[in-house]
Amino acid sequence: MNAIVQWFVAPIQYDFMLKAVLVSAFVGMVCAVLSCYMTLKGWALMGDAVSHSVTPGVVLAYILNLPFALGAFVFGIGSVLAIGFIKSKTRIKEDTVIGLVFTGFFALGLVLISKNPSNVDLMHILFGNVLGIPMHDIIQTLVIGSITLAIILVLRKDLLLFCFDPTHAQSIGLNTTALYYTLLTLLSLTIVVALQAVGIILVVAMLVTPGAIAYLLSDRFDHMMIFAVISGIFSSVMGTYVSYYLDASTGGCIVVLQTLIFVITMILAPKHGLIARMRKQSIIE
Amino acid sequence: MQNLSRIQVENVTVTYNGKVALHGATLSLNKGSIAGLVGMNGSGKSTLFKAIMGFVQPTTGRVLINGLPIRQAQKRGLVAYVPQSEEVDWNFPISVSDVVMMGRYGYMNILRIPRNSDRRMVAESLERVQMTPFKDRQIGELSGGQKKRAFLARALAQQGSVILLDEPFTGVDVKTEKAIAELLIELRQQGHTILVSTHDLNSVATFCDQVVFINQTILAYGATQDVFTPENLTRTFGGVMPNVQLNQ
Repeated sequence: MNAIVQWFVAPIQYDFMLKAVLVSAFVGMVCAVLSCYMTLKGWALMGDAVSHSVTPGVVLAYILNLPFALGAFVFGIGSVLAIGFIKSKTRIKEDTVIGLVFTGFFALGLVLISKNPSNVDLMHILFGNVLGIPMHDIIQTLVIGSITLAIILVLRKDLLLFCFDPTHAQSIGLNTTALYYTLLTLLSLTIVVALQAVGIILVVAMLVTPGAIAYLLSDRFDHMMIFAVISGIFSSVMGTYVSYYLDASTGGCIVVLQTLIFVITMILAPKHGLIARMRKQSIIE
Repeated sequence: MQNLSRIQVENVTVTYNGKVALHGATLSLNKGSIAGLVGMNGSGKSTLFKAIMGFVQPTTGRVLINGLPIRQAQKRGLVAYVPQSEEVDWNFPISVSDVVMMGRYGYMNILRIPRNSDRRMVAESLERVQMTPFKDRQIGELSGGQKKRAFLARALAQQGSVILLDEPFTGVDVKTEKAIAELLIELRQQGHTILVSTHDLNSVATFCDQVVFINQTILAYGATQDVFTPENLTRTFGGVMPNVQLNQ
């Protein structure tokens, strides 16, 4: 028992680990809340696109000495507008447009990084750096994350209706275009929040996996949200610890852990898991 | 104002990317009627629905609901829509009463916290379609007919004076079809105006008091006994008389 307590307590004697664990938990929570909407709306690819597209924004912000969140936000929204524009003005299918736009933005980011090696650490942008997160970035993460959570809290039912039945939403006078852009803005903000913890490449896992885990565990949206938040915080905190002990990539550990939880859930989930489904099948037969 | 009809479509033309989907459509439906919307695939049925719900901006003409422009009608929740089964994600983690409560959102404040009146309306609506015993089920755990009734309950909870139903009889058994038809007739008696798009011409003949024929424009509309004729059916189906019993 003592050893387990020690396993948890010893690392957070260090200031940097205490900060890392708390920031990870917060990031895990914000991402998990949004991931419920992402999985129900089927926006995984959109999340992937926006997260990659913020790269040049982050680099430019560093170069210009602006808050990196600002650059990320501008390019995140910009990528979505570019996708929408190309889709509506040409005959090209949406998935092609998404693939085209986000790789283009991401490539531009790589070029900018390689031309300014002294200012920006490529590895930190791509893979996160929660163990070395400076205080001003923590404050930025907390502020943006809190704003995001507040917006979701206020609009949660409208956003849910928008995911479930946009036709009905429109017929009772809700502005579905505004809801669409609100959800995209929340996506961009959440990506900004998560960048510090897991980096650009793995953000999409934080935005999809907790929602997917929760979706297999629940038939009620409120319960789904709770399961997602629990799995999001748990995997973020434990992943940070594991990365400390293994001296391995923090973002990597968090996402591997999350994926493991998903696999276990997929097999064992009481109603929608593989075993439960097989049982149901055999009863029918 | 009293003389205005419930649904008033005046010379409406809708174009998508330069293609005309609906041309010069004119239609007037009164309070307390069930109208069957009859037309082939691609005849403009769903475009007419969208125009009545205000989802498409007509290039010419206008739509009035209870004499009100469409935006105001939307704000008041006057037009309720019951979707086709294929349009719904039945795995969505949501219960029957959650769906019905969504009919009340237009009456709630921004946080959409239900008041007692909203809860009462949801309970009443569920009762009227005999779905009270299933109110806590996840929507995917319902039979075809129950699914239809759940969404019909949402339209009731919305208290729309106009209800649009898209293919309500597809994928339901005869018993459910009869139950839905009876409920629609009851709603008509209470003054609702119901527009039903359907492929089932026999059901049109039996329970719709109005028929609307559509083929790129509205070819004819009026009382079933007057307009449900071989000539109109043949025009609607591009020169082919469909197989249908005309009980005249």
